[in-house]
Formats: sequence, structure tokens, C-alpha cells
Amino acid sequence: MMNSLPTTSAESTQTKVPQGYVSLTLGQFTCLLDHGAIRRNLLLLGLVILASIASLAIGTVALSPWQVIQALFGYGDALSQFVVQDLRLQRLLAGIYTGAAFSLAGCLMQTLARNRLATPGIIGIDNAAMAFAVSSVVSTAISIAPSAMALAGAATATALAFGLAGSSGTRGYRFIVAGIGIGAIAGAITQLMLSQVDIDTANAAYPWTVGSLSARPELMVNILGGGLFFCLIACLLLTHLFSLLPFSDAVITGLGSSTKWLRLSSLSLSIILTGLAVAVAGPVGLVALIGPEMARVFARYRGIPLIGSALAGAFIMVVADLIGRTLLSPIELPVGIVTSVVGGPYLIWILMRQRSKSTI
Amino acid sequence: MSLSDTVSLGAEALTLKHGKTTIIEGLDIRLPSSKVTAIVGPNGCGKSTLLNGLSRIHAPSGGVVLLDGKNIHKLPSKEVARHLALLPQDTIAPDGITVSELIRFGRHPHQSALKQWAMSDQEAIDYALKAADLSDLQERLLDTLSGGQRQRAWIAMSIAQETPLLLLDEPTSALDLGHQIEVFELIRELSEEGKTIAMVVHDLPSACRYADHIVAMKQGKIITQGSPKDVMTKELVMELYGVECDLIPDPMTGSPILINIKRVKS
Repeated sequence: MMNSLPTTSAESTQTKVPQGYVSLTLGQFTCLLDHGAIRRNLLLLGLVILASIASLAIGTVALSPWQVIQALFGYGDALSQFVVQDLRLQRLLAGIYTGAAFSLAGCLMQTLARNRLATPGIIGIDNAAMAFAVSSVVSTAISIAPSAMALAGAATATALAFGLAGSSGTRGYRFIVAGIGIGAIAGAITQLMLSQVDIDTANAAYPWTVGSLSARPELMVNILGGGLFFCLIACLLLTHLFSLLPFSDAVITGLGSSTKWLRLSSLSLSIILTGLAVAVAGPVGLVALIGPEMARVFARYRGIPLIGSALAGAFIMVVADLIGRTLLSPIELPVGIVTSVVGGPYLIWILMRQRSKSTI
Repeated sequence: MSLSDTVSLGAEALTLKHGKTTIIEGLDIRLPSSKVTAIVGPNGCGKSTLLNGLSRIHAPSGGVVLLDGKNIHKLPSKEVARHLALLPQDTIAPDGITVSELIRFGRHPHQSALKQWAMSDQEAIDYALKAADLSDLQERLLDTLSGGQRQRAWIAMSIAQETPLLLLDEPTSALDLGHQIEVFELIRELSEEGKTIAMVVHDLPSACRYADHIVAMKQGKIITQGSPKDVMTKELVMELYGVECDLIPDPMTGSPILINIKRVKS
């Protein structure tokens, strides 16, 4: 309290904080930041920016990076301003938001379940959110409905998986196996609904079933943006608590935290993020598997890489969408198919590796 | 509600159940302060359950656990964690964590969302590192340590918690003789600094050698308690484990040791 300004003297910081950390003080708030995490997150942020510029520049009308930057800030010629701001920016934002949301949700759930396989996509949350979103597209024309319904679907699937897992809770394979079943059922229900409606309605619902960033409704992208912002702030404030998640229940309680509250808050954030992201892009769940992994590859343990996962997810999604748009141009591959092609083999690799080294 | 600095821990008419099975019924206990208490007894007698009950991990079905005379389940959990530390049996740590990072988690009850780091945190961590003789290993990964060193790191995490009370569930199980002694001697040092310690121990001679107070349990009940010299008799060993033996005082320390152990043929 006496010294509320960030310390500048190297000697005094050395005695105050553990090796490899710096302390950040803002008024009443004090926290520790890991040097390595700051470096990694800046690097990932740089990658996201590069991928974003590439995504805005590449397309039927090719622009130079400099033209893109000018157009973003309202300078340059009218054509490049139109291409960047009106045609491509919305899609880029949809990609960044969904990638960050899926990946952050994945990281939270993996940590909660203490299992790298336990991402929302694997345990059926994506599919259930999709089924609910599709049902709202099929039955009503209210534009906000898919977001709300996807959230409801995500929550329903989680509650079911939780209920079926029984006493083992979110830890252990029962939760995952129950989730896989729920996901399969939700997928089947989606197919059933699509086969019952006329071709135009089915077409309207199609993007949700494959995972696509093409022409997503602006309202839903903005809702996701708001939700993502809220969840990121919540994660930053709760990182301190979430760092206890890998410990056993006895240790968590012994340190004075509530295991119930920890689970409820991390699970809720994961559901909100997944539900809103599915409402925009459909089930591109494999990002939730690859994103946190990419964030981890950069580092050995220093807490849970929440921010790193969000950045890595955004990067993966933007690059995957860019590949999908350009690889077989003018035919466009949905982003969900690109991530599946990359993510599928990766999933198999994890499964093979799990035999020798279990959990996170 | 605030607790005094030297807090007592005990239970009255404590009943603990696993599902519908009653493990402990109507048990009274009070840990002698600034002493080491060893809870001994055969497998399944409820030692660990009692320890989990005393540390509020296991909620009672009847009776009450009293921390400084107050119902432990009515106190804020963080407040309890500033007075009572627990080292459970299964100690899973996050992958790739270093010794000092593990110890830092012991500071959790003293921190909040706003105040995630304070000068006193580093002091407590440095003290814990020194007390557990881990200063040279503080940047090592936990996975790369020997069993005894790892156990010392976990105890150091409890030391950093700066609690007057420390409960340990089989702190030396799965450790070889040298590492067992390492851990027991650390426990003694902590008790000499004034901590009240309770531990579940399997090895009777170690319990007699390192504890001031023995609590002997069988089938969820305390059958006797007191100083090792007073309570440790061949009759007690017979009743607890169904084995015959003779007891002689250790020529160097005077604490009872078991010799000539044999199974009773029925």
C-alpha cells in the first residue's frame, strides 16, 4: 500500500518476487507475471496480427499488407477500403472470436477434467449446441435465437454428461464417454431435423453443421465478441483460483477454496464460450484441442495457459479459414473441414500417446 | 469471526460415514497443543477418515469438529486454511511445476483476487525452503526429485501456509528408511517450533520414536491414547493387529521397539 507504483529498481524486485517473475501493482491490485508467459503471449499476438493481415490481403482482389493497414484505419483507395472493411473484416473478426472462444473453452475444460481429451467438442457440447441452433433455424426466424439456443444446448449437454458421469464427476473417463454418446445423439437429431425440412431451410442451417465462417450474421458475431470479452476478464480475475484446478480435491479444500465453486465457474465459462462460438461458426471443436496444445508447446508449466490458448485458437482459426478460402479457390472449403483434416490426425496421435503418459 | 493464534483442534461426538457405511461413531478427540500426535491402527480402522474429518475434507454426519472451540464447518474456509494445513495422501501436482512454484500454492489462503502477491509471501516461501532444506532445489522440477525430497516439498508447501496446526496423512508411506527419517525429523523440528501436528502412521516403532502422543484406533473407536511409553504394550499390539510380540526400550532413545513378532495361530 505504501508503494503502489511498479517497482523500478532491479535489486528490490529480485528480493520480492520468485525467479522468472515480475510483480505488477495497480492501486490495490497486485499480481505476479511470468516473464516467459509475457514473451510467449506477445509472440502469439504477433502471429495473430500477421495472420489477420494476410487474411485481409489475400482473396479474389489481392491487396498489399500496406494497403490493408491503410484501409483498416480509413485511408487508401476506396476499393481496398471496401474490400477490407465491408467484405473481409467481419469474417476475420468471426474467425478470431470463434477461435479464441473454442480454444479458451477447451483449455478450461481440459484443466477441469484433468484430461487432454476432455474438450467441449469431444464431450458432445458442440454437437448439442449445434442441434439446438439448427432447431431454432428450422422452426423460427428470430435472428437472436441461434445464439440463445446454442447456449441452452451447450448447458443441456454438460448437465447430461455430468449427471451420467455419476460420482466420478468431471474427472475420469465416464464423463468423456457419456459426453461422446450425447454428442452422437445430438448429431443424429440434427441430421433428422435437416432431412425433414425443405431444401431452403436446410441450406440456411447448413453452415452450422459443417463449421463455416462464410457470411455469418453480424449480430451473432457481436454477441460472441461481447461474451468473449466478458469471459476473458473473468478468466484474468480467476486465474489465481483456476491454478488450483490440477490439484486433488483434498488439497484444494485444504488451501481454503471451494471445489464446487471452482468447477461451477470454470464449467460455466466453458459452456458460454462454446455455445456462443457454435452459434457463429458451428462445431469447429477441434480448435479446442489444438489451440491449448499449441499454447503449451511454447512453454513448460507456468500456470494454466488461458490467454495463450485464446491467442493460439484465434491464430489457428484465421489460418485455417485462409487455407479453406484459397486452397481450392474459387471453391471454398468450410473452416470446420480444414481443422478436421489437421486436427483428426492430431487427435489420433494424442490417443496413441495417452497409453504411455496419461492426463494433461 | 477471528481465531486466536494458538488454536486448538478437536472433535466431539464425531460421526463420519462413507455413503451409508458408518466409519466413525460418536468419537471424542482433542489434539495436545504443540505436540506431535500419531494416529495408529490396523487398515480400515478409520485413521485417515478421522484425519479428513478433522481437516473438514470429510463432512460429519453427526457431532462437531472444533477449531479453537468453533464449529469448523461454520468458519470461512480460507480462515480455516490460515490456521490448519493438511497434507493428504494422494499428492497430485500440476505437470512441470518447480519446487518453489509448488510451495507458492501454500500462500493461497493468504492471498485474494486483488492481492495476489505480497512481500510476506516471498518471506514465507523462503522460510519454508530453508526449514525443509530445499533452498538448493527450489528451481528443480518436482518430477525430477527423489521421493523423500518431493515429500519434503509438499510439507514445505504446508509450512508456507503458516498455520499453527498441521495434519499429515501417512507422510512416509512409500518412502525408504532414509527418506522416512528425513521426513520424521522435519516433523519433529516443526513441532519444536510450536506447531501442533497430527499424523497417520503405519509403523509403530516410528510412531513411538517421533510422536509425543499416540492415539490407537480400532473399528472406528479410540481404544487408548497417551504417551508412547504409557500406551504401547504387547497387549495393545495384540488387540490392534492380532500379532504377538515383545517390547523392549531402544537402548539409545528409550522409546519402545517391537521384537520377536509372530502371528497368532488360531
